[in-house]
Amino acid sequence: MLTYILRRSALALSVIMATLVSAFLLFFAGPSDPAQAMCPETKCNPARLEAITKSIGLDKPLIEQFLTYFKGLFVGRDFVYAGDTVHCGAPCLGFSFVTRRSVNEELFTRFPNTVVLALMAAVVFVTVGVTFGILAAVRRGSASDRGLVGGSQVLGSIPYYVLALLVALYPVILWNILPQYSSISAGVGPYFMGMLAPALILGLVTSASYVRYTRNSMIETLSMDYIRTARSKGINERTVLFKHGFRAAMSPIATILGLDIAALLTGTLITEQIFGVDGIGRRGLAALRSFDLPVIMGTVLIGAVVVVVMNLLVDIAYSFIDPRVRLS
Amino acid sequence: MLTEESEETASTTAPETQDVRTGRSPGQVAWARLKRDKVAVVCAVIILLFLLIAIFAPFLVSLEAVDPITGAKADPSTVHTELVDFNGLPTVGASSAHWLGVEPRLGRDLFARWAYGARPSLIIGFVAAFASTIIGVTLGLVGGYLGGASDKVISWIIDFFLSLPILLLVLAIIPIMQKRIAAGSDLTPEETSAIRFWVLIVILVVFGWMGLARLVRGEVKSLREREFVQAARAIGVPTRSILFREILPNLVGPIIVSASIAVPAYITYEATLSYLGAGLVEPTASWGRTIADAQNLFATYPLWLWPSVIGLSLLVLALSLLGDSIRDAFDPTSRR
Repeated sequence: MLTYILRRSALALSVIMATLVSAFLLFFAGPSDPAQAMCPETKCNPARLEAITKSIGLDKPLIEQFLTYFKGLFVGRDFVYAGDTVHCGAPCLGFSFVTRRSVNEELFTRFPNTVVLALMAAVVFVTVGVTFGILAAVRRGSASDRGLVGGSQVLGSIPYYVLALLVALYPVILWNILPQYSSISAGVGPYFMGMLAPALILGLVTSASYVRYTRNSMIETLSMDYIRTARSKGINERTVLFKHGFRAAMSPIATILGLDIAALLTGTLITEQIFGVDGIGRRGLAALRSFDLPVIMGTVLIGAVVVVVMNLLVDIAYSFIDPRVRLS
Repeated sequence: MLTEESEETASTTAPETQDVRTGRSPGQVAWARLKRDKVAVVCAVIILLFLLIAIFAPFLVSLEAVDPITGAKADPSTVHTELVDFNGLPTVGASSAHWLGVEPRLGRDLFARWAYGARPSLIIGFVAAFASTIIGVTLGLVGGYLGGASDKVISWIIDFFLSLPILLLVLAIIPIMQKRIAAGSDLTPEETSAIRFWVLIVILVVFGWMGLARLVRGEVKSLREREFVQAARAIGVPTRSILFREILPNLVGPIIVSASIAVPAYITYEATLSYLGAGLVEPTASWGRTIADAQNLFATYPLWLWPSVIGLSLLVLALSLLGDSIRDAFDPTSRR
């Protein structure tokens, strides 16, 4: 078991390192001059450009730049900007010269909003997806089964951002049925009410695939011999469905759930942008517009770490449940 | 796995047990099932309709009447500032000259933009799906068949790509690549737009081949140990022939299914990128861009927003449902 976890962790670490190196090369050794991007066009002069180039170390060899960035991730580093020294503690993701704040401050303060959105959406899609999936499996072949499967197919097939945009435009902005997003400083109640519309649409669309996973898994489980045995013993149907069937049917769903975190991250990015939720994805997109490389790099790194760590945790958890995994 | 099993039984047992009926290939079986599937037929008709709109866009646009103010026929790119007031709001509505009215601010004909907008979506969807299928199949075949170090490298690359936050990375890479290609040269907006179009396809393919490669690799790993492959190896068939003549035909089903699901996925991706600002750029007519531009005036000018919303949603929906039907048609366990 321990060797499996170690091997799997080493793989995860290698992926994170490769992301770090390739993202760094892409952003800092690419054709775009980061200093130019950080220098506001109207107020940019050669002296200022040089100061920025120096302060972010762009005049140094690439290897040295990378090592500085790398070191910053583990022990933190200092930035000198316009005469002031700013300390950035580990894990230091850099310093945004567009907003003149550290990337950590920019991103970590917004991360909770993304997590709240993702969790609320997860609650919606797990409850809706599993409930309707079981319903469809139990009434297999009936009109309600066909309706649920067909409906989930249609919902899952329309481009997600179009659905989200229509929800944001009509019920939220035009008709005012659901409140718009407001930051948590305006109060906890309005904050969660504002999260309702984005979380609902993200959750509902994601639930489409869960309806089908749950239905298939449940149908497979209900066709097992032990379910027939349970029924033949005269156990009531409810107990058969929920105690014997449901529990067994849920373990593959739990795996997919863990692996879907990456997809959910993409979903929150689009959702945040459309509903104006001040999360990490929206901040990353804003950084793209101003070509704020340290912030883009930070967002990509955080995203990669979240995905890799979630996959790792799912794999390890699964190896406890199913011993065949770690032997292969 | 199931598809592969059924192909095996179909090819080995059919001649012995059903000597009267001629054996059908899995592809023929799937085609027969697909033709009976009503949803698939309806979807295919819708897709065909969009293909015709894209191909005959110039003809369709020429059906619009000559505009009385500008005295010209409509086209997707000509700006008519005389059709908008000083606030940029259109002074003409939907008419025989402009079936969907004109675009606020630029006064371009909205129907022309809509009809031409079907083109990039379809081209990107099909070209990217084709290219990523080739790459995915090749890498999956090589990794799965050769095993050893090359397999380790390929699986690591697959794992690596699958754990990247792809949307964000793609959003960041596209403008950078564009800058690299266009560095130091003065390009017209049309040229910039064309470069962006191809950059988009390349990037979508680079980040889109992994799923199929992983699938093919797994299948090849199990096929490699089968008797017919070992027999081929024993009589000295070259590796290339084993891969493409012995193994690949067994994977036709999963590959077609994966490609048919990839087309709507790429169209969605392109529209999403265009909406988020890293996709197609002006003056290319694109549904994703139109939706992004139209959302600010959605309540006043629904004719700006809705045709693109409906076009995009309907096309992607039809392609996805057809993909689902194709998957069911190749899957012997599904009986609908």
